[in-house]
Amino acid sequence: MSQDIKQPVDNFKHVSLFWTDLLHLISGKPVSLTSVGPTRNWVNDMKKITTEVIDSYENLIEFNQRLTEYYKQLTETWIEAQKKVNAKVPSIPQDSESLEAYKRVWIDIFENDFTGLFDSEKFAQNYGSLVSAELELTKRWENITNVLFQSLRLPTRKEIDEVYKELHELRKRVKKLEKREHQQDGA
Amino acid sequence: MAHEIDPKLVEEFLSFTRNVAEAPKLVPAPNEINLESSQFDVAYEEDKVRLLHFRPTTSSKVKTPLIISYAIINRYHILDIQPEKSWVRKLLEGGIDVYMIDWGNPSNIDKYLDFDDYVNTYMENCVDFVRKEADAKSISLQGYCTGGTISTIYAALHPQKVRNLVATAPVIDGWKDTTVVSNMARHIDVDRMVDTIGNMPPEFMYYCFSILKPFEQGLEKYYKFFKNIHNEKFVDSFLRVEKWLSETPPIPGELFKQWIKNIYQENLLIQNKMYVGGKQVDLKRISMPVFIQVAVGDHLVSPECSMPLHYAVASQDKTLRIYPTGHVGMIASSYSQKHILPELCQWLAER
Repeated sequence: MSQDIKQPVDNFKHVSLFWTDLLHLISGKPVSLTSVGPTRNWVNDMKKITTEVIDSYENLIEFNQRLTEYYKQLTETWIEAQKKVNAKVPSIPQDSESLEAYKRVWIDIFENDFTGLFDSEKFAQNYGSLVSAELELTKRWENITNVLFQSLRLPTRKEIDEVYKELHELRKRVKKLEKREHQQDGA
Repeated sequence: MAHEIDPKLVEEFLSFTRNVAEAPKLVPAPNEINLESSQFDVAYEEDKVRLLHFRPTTSSKVKTPLIISYAIINRYHILDIQPEKSWVRKLLEGGIDVYMIDWGNPSNIDKYLDFDDYVNTYMENCVDFVRKEADAKSISLQGYCTGGTISTIYAALHPQKVRNLVATAPVIDGWKDTTVVSNMARHIDVDRMVDTIGNMPPEFMYYCFSILKPFEQGLEKYYKFFKNIHNEKFVDSFLRVEKWLSETPPIPGELFKQWIKNIYQENLLIQNKMYVGGKQVDLKRISMPVFIQVAVGDHLVSPECSMPLHYAVASQDKTLRIYPTGHVGMIASSYSQKHILPELCQWLAER
């Protein structure tokens, strides 16, 4: 992210977090008095969600920048390819086959120019960053849903992943043991 | 003066719109098509993996059974997409006993499956099953695309069980791959991707497919489809391939991570620096007869990416064939039926 954008974002983040934290501290005790049992987590959960939303602004800006660059690259390539097609048009014979010939020229030039773009370092770099920014946003959303799941006493994605990993290792161990047993039976 | 429109153009436009209108009456929806062509039995199953055993169509002429390892992208159906273009059928006609590994449709629970599971568990158990069933000490192994990589790794780790290795467009030297796929793969933060979304979703692959030949494959081929809507053979073939293309299963997260890092980003396989299940994959341990098939027009795995295998193995008996076709054309086309498969059948029969 460029420096001129980063600074206002950091300021915004700081101010937002300052007031969220302060309001949390000020309201913490009175809210605690009015909330009983498990619902006491509510304030904490709201703080976590607010923090995630505030933090996601930075990712959103990064994502938008990368997406804009992505469309810019596509548009520029399109314009350049169309210019090449236009330059070629006068050499296409004006007969009954001209439409087919025009289509062929158009496809060949566009295919060539766009393949050149997709093969380029600048496209792949921006695409990689775009995907990363999208994944960061997905992660933020996942963190928010995890807070909600936890408040409902449901397993989070991380906890489910732990179960998957455990299952995978168990399956592996069982298979190894079965194989060993099978080999011993055969011997 | 008014500009006159060529009557031929008007006729072509009208004919095309008629074809579009008539299309639903003439052709089935892709979902109504059954992609399986040759008959098979499920010989062995483990988790979501199936080992298919194709029923013979002629008397056996080749003693060693052949196991085909299909890729981890899309499903195995392309190797048996329709009778006249079926890779499997041609091998059966050559008197070869054909098995095929169908890697199945991984779900979230399979997120932690990795190369070790694919090579040292699934493939190993399939190979052992066939060796036992056929009473053979070793088998012939063919791998297509990413299946070619898995087969190559298996042959390097278990050379005593592989009599012949056939690698069809295998992904071997990631740094030499000149395709758009490798360009993207090199710039992806795969750790973050797998950590965030788990298995690699099919949509990601569809994106990669869409930028391979966006105008030829995205526009021109559908134009041709409607233009040839009355050509039964063309339409049948088109819809089968389209259906196959649209059925990509997710790739287990851990396997995808290792794939991108070890093959495309760090290029460990060709340098003999890759480890699978704690064991080093040394391509020099491949000393059995090897047949490598590559296609000049392959825009998914470039020939430069596959060919280094020929020079990396220790085999004395090795053949490298470069065909004037594409990635799919190599396995499912009239060209492969006429040129590639007869050569492969003969190569297998001689060994």
